[in-house]
Amino acid sequence: MIRLVARRLVYLVLVLIVITFLTYVVFFVGNPNDLAARFAGRDAGPAQIRDAAVRLGLNHGFWYQYWHYLVGLLHGSFGLDFQNQVPINSEIARAFPVTASLVVGSVVIWLLIGIPIGIMSATHPRTLRDRAGTTFALTFLSMPTFVLGVLFLLVFYYYLTRAGLSWFPAAGYVGITTSPGQWFLHLILPWLTLALVQAAIYTRLIRGSLLDVLGEDYIRTARAKGLSRRTVIYKHGVRAALTPVVTQLGIDVGTLLAGAFVTERVFGLPGLGQLALNAIGAADLPVVAAVVVLAASFIVIMNTIVDIVYALLDPRVRLA
Amino acid sequence: MSQGGLIGVDVEQERVEEKDPELLAENKEQEFVGRTPWRLAWLRLRKDKVAMVSLGFIVFLVLVAIFAPLLTALIGHGPNAQYTTKGLSLSGIPVGPGQNGFILGTDDQGRDVLSRIIYGSQISLEVGIGATALALAVGTLIGLVAGYYGGWIDSILGRFMDILLSFPILLFAIAIVARFGPSLELLIIVIAMFSWPYIGRLVRGQVIGLREREFVEAARALGASDLRIMVFDIAPNLIALAVIYATLLIPVNIVLEATLSFLGLGIQPPTASWGNMIAEAQTGDLYTVAWWFLVFPCIALVLTTLAFNLFGDGLRDALDPRRGRGHLGTVQKVKRAARAFAFPSEVIRAARSSVFRSERERETP
Repeated sequence: MIRLVARRLVYLVLVLIVITFLTYVVFFVGNPNDLAARFAGRDAGPAQIRDAAVRLGLNHGFWYQYWHYLVGLLHGSFGLDFQNQVPINSEIARAFPVTASLVVGSVVIWLLIGIPIGIMSATHPRTLRDRAGTTFALTFLSMPTFVLGVLFLLVFYYYLTRAGLSWFPAAGYVGITTSPGQWFLHLILPWLTLALVQAAIYTRLIRGSLLDVLGEDYIRTARAKGLSRRTVIYKHGVRAALTPVVTQLGIDVGTLLAGAFVTERVFGLPGLGQLALNAIGAADLPVVAAVVVLAASFIVIMNTIVDIVYALLDPRVRLA
Repeated sequence: MSQGGLIGVDVEQERVEEKDPELLAENKEQEFVGRTPWRLAWLRLRKDKVAMVSLGFIVFLVLVAIFAPLLTALIGHGPNAQYTTKGLSLSGIPVGPGQNGFILGTDDQGRDVLSRIIYGSQISLEVGIGATALALAVGTLIGLVAGYYGGWIDSILGRFMDILLSFPILLFAIAIVARFGPSLELLIIVIAMFSWPYIGRLVRGQVIGLREREFVEAARALGASDLRIMVFDIAPNLIALAVIYATLLIPVNIVLEATLSFLGLGIQPPTASWGNMIAEAQTGDLYTVAWWFLVFPCIALVLTTLAFNLFGDGLRDALDPRRGRGHLGTVQKVKRAARAFAFPSEVIRAARSSVFRSERERETP
């Protein structure tokens, strides 16, 4: 077990280095004058550009620059942005709660939708209820996130409001500290957008997993010794069936984050995705790089945690 | 040389098969002659209504994309022409479907939505098929080499694929497009760059099984070189797998293209792509009164994704009957296909689980 954890951690560090390296190569290798000119701004003269090059450390070799960047990251600093020359950390600190609200809320919703429908489909296979669950899954599975988002906005905001039912507010974001009620209302549609696609997948996943478990011998034993159907399904069945779901949850973080960025764009939420996309518009490379490194690291760390949890849950992996 | 399932297509036998269906029906004995595995797969596929309808839609879409200039000429509206008098009402509201000769209406700039969707299909297919083909070539090559040689070559290539798989595709695509500026070629390369490891993983797994088989041993005993064994003995056995996963990867890549274009990082307006049509519609407010120029590109995208997924799933059943599903009703087929849908799709999931599996294998001393 310790060997496995150590191995995963070494691998994690390796992947993180590769991620920062590739990001660095993609963003900052190239014509140094070009970068310095961007940093110095539009009206900069040659002297200012040279000055900017020195400030950015562009007069040093590539490895020195990369090392510098890496040390900065390890100290938790992403450097200055090109547009306003303010620390990127503060911009990220502002955007992070938005993305976090979106992601956490939609995970809760998708589990609340996905698990019950999945259980229902598995406990009543080939019935009308199962079929309804499947139809639900099919409908949302074939929708790209942004398509679902724009259609939601069209139907639930514009059409309902025009019909005199202004249940949902316009796109935008209100901080949870400003007004929890408004925060909730503004996030309902984004949450559903992000959650429904995933909930559909989890419905299928839970259905399959629970059907497998319910076919096991120990379930028959539990029934035979006189436990109620409800106890057998929920205490013995669902608990075992959720293990693969938990693992999948960690793996899906990447998809989720990407989906969150798209959803932010659709609903105009000022989160990390918007930050990156706006920075692209302004050719503000360090900000984009910061978001990419941050999100990629988060995903890789989550994957590592999942691997370790998986080993904890499944003795076959641990003992091998 | 190779005895593996899907090749050994005997030309002579195929001719017999194609002779005359009535003659075949009369002469039962002849029916057993020359049924190549491909032909058997086709017969199975033909029974699968869902897959055949999807195939029909895909063929239709390909024809539409190829004959786009002809079709738009027939309609009489170019994809980028702005019909400010005919296509917009006096107050600037787009014309609805079926009015003034605009079959699917116009968008907020007075352009024909149908013409733009037709041209958008070109982009979707170019990127979807182009990126998948590139991914298939690279993935097969690297998977073949990794699986065949094993040892440290496999360790390095396998690790490399693992790392690429743990990358957030969309984020890195954003990064690369942000640095180099959007273009069609870059889009194809970027999407291929992150989708080849899925194919690579699957191919590697297959090759590890195949390289121990007797026919490979026989070839080696006959003195065939590694290259010859890989190309003529092992590779033909990978075709079925490659075809299945390529078909399932195409819709993933089409959605990725649409998403990048939606985010403004793919195809740039005024060139029409389904993704940027949706994005352009959403930037204004007019779509709230003229839903058609937002909704029709959405429908085109969803239908295309659906068709490729359903067809890929049917193809898998047809080419891989050992999965033993036998004859399923249409409802069950649609149901089962649900698994193949998601944005990361079953391709990604399959690759993921094979990552885990290989992880476990590696832990075993």
